[in-house]
Amino acid sequence: MSENHVAPASGRHGFEPKIVAFVCNWCTYLGADLAGTTRLEYPPNVRIIRLPCTGRIDFNLIIKAFEIGADSVLVSGCHPGDCHYTSGNYHARRRWILFRELLQALGFDLERIHFTWISAAEGHKWQQVVKEITEKTRQLGPYTELYRTSTGSAGVSPAVAQASRTRDAAPSLPLPMRGGESGAVPLPIRGGKSDTVLRPVWEGEGALRDACRRLLAEDKAKVVIGYGKRGPVFVTRPEDVEQLVWNDQCLANLTVYLKRKEIRALGRPAIVVKGCDERALVVLEKESQIDRKEMHAIGMACQGMGEAKCETCDVHVPRFADEVMGEADKHPAETDERWKSLESLLALPTAERMAYWAREFERCVKCYACRQVCPMCYCERCLVEKNRPTEIEPSPTAKGNFAWHILRAFHLAGRCIGCDECTRACPAGIDLRLLNLSLAKAAEEHFAYRAGMDPKAEPLIGGYSLQDKENFIR
Amino acid sequence: MSATISQAALRELVAEWIAQGKRVAGPCLVPSGVAAAVAPALRSASPAKPSLVLYSYFESPAQLVLEGFIRPANSIKEFIFPKHEELYRYRITGKGIELTEVEPLRAEQVLIAARPCDAASLPILDHVFNWDYKDELYNCRRQLTTVVTLACPAHDEACFCTSVGLGPAAERGSDAMLLELGEGEYEVRCLTEKGKALFAGKLQASERVASLPAGPRKRFDPVEVRAFVKDNFESPFWPAETLACLGCGACAYTCPTCHCFDIVDEGNIERGVRARNWDSCQFSMFTLHASGHNPRPNQPARQRQRIDHKFHIYPEKFGEILCTGCGNCTRNCPEGIGVLSVLTEIDHA
Repeated sequence: MSENHVAPASGRHGFEPKIVAFVCNWCTYLGADLAGTTRLEYPPNVRIIRLPCTGRIDFNLIIKAFEIGADSVLVSGCHPGDCHYTSGNYHARRRWILFRELLQALGFDLERIHFTWISAAEGHKWQQVVKEITEKTRQLGPYTELYRTSTGSAGVSPAVAQASRTRDAAPSLPLPMRGGESGAVPLPIRGGKSDTVLRPVWEGEGALRDACRRLLAEDKAKVVIGYGKRGPVFVTRPEDVEQLVWNDQCLANLTVYLKRKEIRALGRPAIVVKGCDERALVVLEKESQIDRKEMHAIGMACQGMGEAKCETCDVHVPRFADEVMGEADKHPAETDERWKSLESLLALPTAERMAYWAREFERCVKCYACRQVCPMCYCERCLVEKNRPTEIEPSPTAKGNFAWHILRAFHLAGRCIGCDECTRACPAGIDLRLLNLSLAKAAEEHFAYRAGMDPKAEPLIGGYSLQDKENFIR
Repeated sequence: MSATISQAALRELVAEWIAQGKRVAGPCLVPSGVAAAVAPALRSASPAKPSLVLYSYFESPAQLVLEGFIRPANSIKEFIFPKHEELYRYRITGKGIELTEVEPLRAEQVLIAARPCDAASLPILDHVFNWDYKDELYNCRRQLTTVVTLACPAHDEACFCTSVGLGPAAERGSDAMLLELGEGEYEVRCLTEKGKALFAGKLQASERVASLPAGPRKRFDPVEVRAFVKDNFESPFWPAETLACLGCGACAYTCPTCHCFDIVDEGNIERGVRARNWDSCQFSMFTLHASGHNPRPNQPARQRQRIDHKFHIYPEKFGEILCTGCGNCTRNCPEGIGVLSVLTEIDHA
């Protein structure tokens, strides 16, 4: 067989692009209808799916369309100000701004996703748009890069190939084992520094215990949710406060326990929070998940726990806690430092970005630890557990894993406070923080919004502004 | 007298197996973060997981990591009982349904440098996959798999193999065992015909005999645990000890012996596939009835279920504990629980 044989992309003869159009019932669908009744000809490559409003177009539908073989997707609705439901398209616009950034980080080809406003009177615009998208997609060729892992070094940039070769050649590791020792190796908290033998006691531990003893004795709290030697502890009696510790292994974001029924049943909580964890309280209160008057927050000034997030932390001292223990003399990092790891991802070409995630997600077993440790994932029943119909395939396959991680990340758009618990909990070592960072960066750049920083700020998703950018919408 | 092999010769042998078309899996280093994948110099800039070792298939023997870690964060069960497995495909035609069997992949595989606590899980799992129904897909993979273990030179505080009747050089489930002699040499003990065939003609005769590595101290008595679990179904012990559990499946999915699975149909109105995926007793959907009733309605009940199954139900049915003491549940628990902390509490109670 000649080598030229496997090149459908070069000639593209015979390639007919499949385009899926999600359109709103009130404007674009009628626009397309008008194009038909006025006998305007446009390519038959487009398959129209009519939905009530662009505000009701689930982002998963765009992904699904690609999964089942679409080469391009078009999303179209009423012009701003014309929404049949007043503001559906404004909400949609804001979500698309964020969603595009996530897809960018995941390595989806944004050239294949189109957004337009087409009114019921714009039959000619519909004709024009469909013609252009079809032509563009014809030039791009079929979308075959979806979820494809590059095996070996084929299709990977020389840098990546070089890196993996270096890795192969040097399997010596900076790992925790100490040779010749007869005793067991001490076990760090998951994600903690493995070479930590002696756990230091940090300033503030004594004050923390005193405060908790007082809270419990005076009945101002029924339970203290704090850090113990081997993980979270729930102290209900003043004489047990000695169980509480404050050291460099206090990694967990304990605010996740505020949603747990078993913990709620214990009564009014006092909770130990670091500056980063505290941002969760701000979001949870805004989303009516907690009542700050019905709880007590003990803030711990933190010098950093040695995690990636700590390197760029700018909330070393809690700001909204009811009382703060200890001091931190750390200074906030430069803003652009925060995006460093994300930028190394975005520096990769689109297809390699997707290949990177395909390799990472291949290790995902769907244990859902990322979801369970997340303070913001508080749904009683997660969408992935709904099966009539199945929206997210539960299988840990390439398709099912991409769908899950897109869902998880995007449901946290404008809500993720960057505590990185998902990344710490992942037993497969998937760097989920990169996805969260992509959305955090988008929120900051497009809306000057950081989740959990300002209790007065309106939640990003759920609101909209007439000024939201629309330079990507036609 | 013993038979030995050097690390270099072992890697060459692995290369030979790969060249023969065998699939070879063993401990591999997982690069951390995109920075590590792009430029190793940036590795410290994104220490998502500084040094994660997982069992995985590899293409080159250089990927095999033999030293410097306690044990991989996953288990070898995924090479016999994968996380996702297609059972059959279906197609809905005008007249009815067309079914196509999925043929199991009949490729020999070698699991190299597995830990004895992993190998021991396979004979335990054999019971459940050959109990009333003989699971062809499982058995096919099992027969084509040769397990070469590496006796554990070290252990950490999560290890408790000695408490469940195993040890750092326990031979159960292994076809051959490597024992460190130092200076990159291993003593090789071929324990089954499969193991002998794998190393035939590749070993040196030597006077050196490996000394058996020390195991972790005993942490609890499984007989006590079984008695406690049997008599304390409604005990306040469970809610008190399992409050920190968040209900993820990290413990079950990295456990060498946990084997729950779920069957799903995935497809569209024309065609699809029936597959089985790993499942965990820690999920809120576990045992949820269509009526909405759930006999394991909360996390304490689910944690109890896990211990109950491992130390009481399984032993009662098959005569052995469903746990090999690998400690993965403890190491992988984001909140530091795992079965060990619960079991030691039971024994002290």
